[in-house]
Amino acid sequence: MAESNNQDLVTLTVDGMTTSVPQGTLVIEAARQVGVMIPHFCYHPKLTPDANCRMCLVEIEKLPRLQTSCSTKVAEGMVVKSNVPHVDEARKSVLEFILANHPLDCPVCDQGGRCDLQDFSHQYTPTTSRFTELKRVFPKEYFSPLIETQMNRCVQCMRCVRYCDQVMDVKALAPSGRGTLTEIKHFSAHELDCEFCGGCVQICPVGAITSRLSMYDFRPWMLKRTDTICTYCGDGCHITIQKKQDELIEVNSTQGVGRNNGDLCARGFFGYHASVHPDRIMHPLIKQQDGRFAQATWEEALELVAEKFQGIKTAFGGNAFGGLVTSRCTNEELYLFQKFMRGVLGSNRVDSSARFGHVNGTLPLLSVQGTHRWTATFEDIVDADALLLIGTNITETNPITGLKVKQAVKQGHAILVTMESLLPARGTISNITLLATHHLPVRPDHYHIAIVGLIKSVLDNGLVDPGLETRAPEFFRAIKAAIDSTSWAHIEEVSGVSREVFSQSAHAFSSSTRGMIIVGQGVLRSPRGAEMVTNLLDFLILTGRHGQPGCGLCPLAEENNDQGAIEMGATAEFLPGPIAIGHHDTRQALSKLWEVDLPQEPASSLMEMFRDAQAGQVKAMYIVGENPVESLPQTGKIKEALESLEFLVCQELFLTETAQLADVVLPACSYVEKDGTFTNTEGMVQPVRQAIDPIGESRPDWEIFSALSVVMDQPMEYGEARDIFKEIRSVIPGYGLVGPVATRPTPKVDVVQQYLQEGFAHGLATRYVCTQDQPASDTPFLLASTQSLFHSGKFSTRSKGLLQIQSSGAIMLNPSDAKKLGIASGDSVCVSNAHGAVTTIARVLNRIPPDVACFPEHFDQDIRCLFELHIDKESHVPYSKLTWVRLERVEKGDV
Amino acid sequence: MKFGEWVKTLIFYEILMGMKATLTHLLHYKPITLQYPHEKKPLPPNYRGMLALLRYDDETEKCVGCDLCEAACPSRVIQVYSAEVPGEPTKRYAKEYYMDMTRCLFCGQCVDACPVDALGMTQEFEWAVYDKRNLQLNKQQLLAIGDRAFPVREKRIEFQHPNVAYFNVSFGDIPQKDA
Repeated sequence: MAESNNQDLVTLTVDGMTTSVPQGTLVIEAARQVGVMIPHFCYHPKLTPDANCRMCLVEIEKLPRLQTSCSTKVAEGMVVKSNVPHVDEARKSVLEFILANHPLDCPVCDQGGRCDLQDFSHQYTPTTSRFTELKRVFPKEYFSPLIETQMNRCVQCMRCVRYCDQVMDVKALAPSGRGTLTEIKHFSAHELDCEFCGGCVQICPVGAITSRLSMYDFRPWMLKRTDTICTYCGDGCHITIQKKQDELIEVNSTQGVGRNNGDLCARGFFGYHASVHPDRIMHPLIKQQDGRFAQATWEEALELVAEKFQGIKTAFGGNAFGGLVTSRCTNEELYLFQKFMRGVLGSNRVDSSARFGHVNGTLPLLSVQGTHRWTATFEDIVDADALLLIGTNITETNPITGLKVKQAVKQGHAILVTMESLLPARGTISNITLLATHHLPVRPDHYHIAIVGLIKSVLDNGLVDPGLETRAPEFFRAIKAAIDSTSWAHIEEVSGVSREVFSQSAHAFSSSTRGMIIVGQGVLRSPRGAEMVTNLLDFLILTGRHGQPGCGLCPLAEENNDQGAIEMGATAEFLPGPIAIGHHDTRQALSKLWEVDLPQEPASSLMEMFRDAQAGQVKAMYIVGENPVESLPQTGKIKEALESLEFLVCQELFLTETAQLADVVLPACSYVEKDGTFTNTEGMVQPVRQAIDPIGESRPDWEIFSALSVVMDQPMEYGEARDIFKEIRSVIPGYGLVGPVATRPTPKVDVVQQYLQEGFAHGLATRYVCTQDQPASDTPFLLASTQSLFHSGKFSTRSKGLLQIQSSGAIMLNPSDAKKLGIASGDSVCVSNAHGAVTTIARVLNRIPPDVACFPEHFDQDIRCLFELHIDKESHVPYSKLTWVRLERVEKGDV
Repeated sequence: MKFGEWVKTLIFYEILMGMKATLTHLLHYKPITLQYPHEKKPLPPNYRGMLALLRYDDETEKCVGCDLCEAACPSRVIQVYSAEVPGEPTKRYAKEYYMDMTRCLFCGQCVDACPVDALGMTQEFEWAVYDKRNLQLNKQQLLAIGDRAFPVREKRIEFQHPNVAYFNVSFGDIPQKDA
């Protein structure tokens, strides 16, 4: 979908105004460009024209009868008239027809006040109708817990049906019946079961489909809007929070704004209540002698923390502190946290939740091509002609990036290769593997060997970039030698994918000119994640796509500011930039700016911190918004490590398991209560704005760091979040200075050259070696802790809207396995291995592959005990997403 | 000058005409001052007095909580908190309704705005109070005023007009919305 050049422009006149628009533009769009708003219901820029509402009739000279401007394309010399009397007459008649059946219940309709039909009625119709017949009345049906339909109000524009099909690819809605008796229904006999993206609610021009969550709580004119960024995944969607006084009413997004262009997912649309959950910590808490928390004032709490920190610093030095921050904080807070840890406390033990996987994507990118960001943008995904998705069920983990992929495939006819454990089975939510040209069904622990297979077919089929062998002979020979040590027989046997499928996929990818690889949590959060990403970069280099425009490797961020955490230096190995922690000049510059000496001790990452805490070297920890006790399995002995600390400070929204171990708990603000910036997965820095006043006595995280530093006599004082951002800009020149579209960095030539000459050799001895984890005979099932579309982390499980869609975890099984075990959906299942046994509910799903069981990580409190903790030797990432288990059916009576 | 005009000038005719009303009262003396509160003047039927919330004949509140009165009010007297009727899913009503009568200028725009004629203006005007807080009225107080001022109530019809189709009726097959 390349931009049209000047030769394709067509000149036309709309209501006397002459304009030039690209060929193929619809008349309604051309009119909008000159400021003529043609009334419409069924037209929407995202959807294909349907011309069913007949509202957009205009007169076009030399054409008989009035034409629908939403389906007529512009032509040279066209003269369009939209304000002549007989066009007005026609609109009046159309509205009279629509209003013949539309109930006059505007006073109780949530759309009343922002309803297209209401506005057009005021503009075009007389207040009386010639229809004396009774209005049609549909029997009211229960639709779903979150989406409410009132079909009497429907104008049958089919926008919702087309959106659900064309944009979301869910196909949950359909028209049923004929003529005026057409109503929008969902296919199933029971209540609506779909992705709950809220798109139908947003796109409905009248009040036929509304949100049940905020029903009757507001009238549109009461709402105050705040444009901010969603916090539920790395996509960085633009959301508009609508509030009435200090009450969150609804969230929506405007078409044409932000990276998501108005599309949202269930988390963004229905998940906003988490911030105002009644369990929020309202006041600072100090633990008493008896182990209970007592409410304290900010002064008491901060003075206690400062006093303890000073004591420990004097007694044991700065290296006795450990700091962990969540990547859900803003850039300003992440920057200030690492400045506090490094500058005020003097410790190099700083880490963030980017450690849980995102560093596995960033570290290889830095070492191979010298960039820490994507070399492509969301627009490049849409424009790509080949996409390789590895280890990501993208529609569930990053739904809006998923929409770009869907758009590329459905509208741009891109070739889509998916390497994913899920099977292409149609379900209630969309499944990206269904759109795939080539699907490689690979078990979640076999991504590594499948990537090796893909590279091997590139080498074996002669798909290597012709210039590469002469440009980098050592690299080519070394990779070939490393790959050749694995035989096709072995690859086919382990991965379960045939050699032909590998070569077809490799052919498909290497025949493209704009090829992108999108890597998800299946790779980043599983053992050997960094190695797999390096291998995929080798694959890009071998196919000659590396460094080409619109090509690149894109690791998907799980948390909204994973990328920002790395760029702000809130990880062990980086200073802000991200610049390696040992970089002399940067250290000098930072010392000068912060007016402190940076600590010299070696940096230690998350897991090393816990190890050292248990060994007694770390005496105090400052944990901001993270809950390692719950997010890591018991075998990691996190709780023991935290209990052995002398002093633990937690800064939290809720009293989590980790916060319960703390000596002092400081109440922090959620994203709706503070200002700042988030950096999304593609490296776009976007502003976050305060929508409501802080809940209780909570304060934004940066304010707490700042206040604490003042009490500790090493003040880092800022008036507002923007001042911190100015300091970030002085450290990272031009940070966040991006235009309407993220500027894409290009791989640094010298780094790539260095990698091709000698850098590739680092880790080459191990990174192509295929190991195989054989299941023990008594634990034949691979249990994967997976993400779910309806939740993100543990924050969303506090949102009442999302809990209505999914309120508990269930172990998901393939039908064939379920049949073998005699399990049906809803049965109790005992999941056990050497670490323990847990009873849970089964859910049989077609898309789960055989011999694999999946459990949503958001509800894994009980099942977490079955997982083991592995720590990556290179990137120190803790892995705990896969384990081997045995499944047995439990009779109801046994439970 | 004509004779007639000469006579008028002589007897100060214009002044007499101007004083006619005054002089008439001098002859037929009747006091105009009412001895309030012992005497009260009859009010016109469209008198815009104290506001009140009304009920249907079956004691149900007329108000559907549409907030249009709040929007229409020029001096921000009204505050409406709408919600779903407990036990009657999808039916809208005003859970809370407040009027700050200290600000009201009795323009009657709220009454005009009401789509269900749930607001009425009574003939009450004796609302002088010692404490201004007593003029902050809630829904119960406003309904009570309506009850005493409008003893004859409108009949409630589920389907108010065949051409309106459904209007604010409850549907038993829909679960109640979470609070």
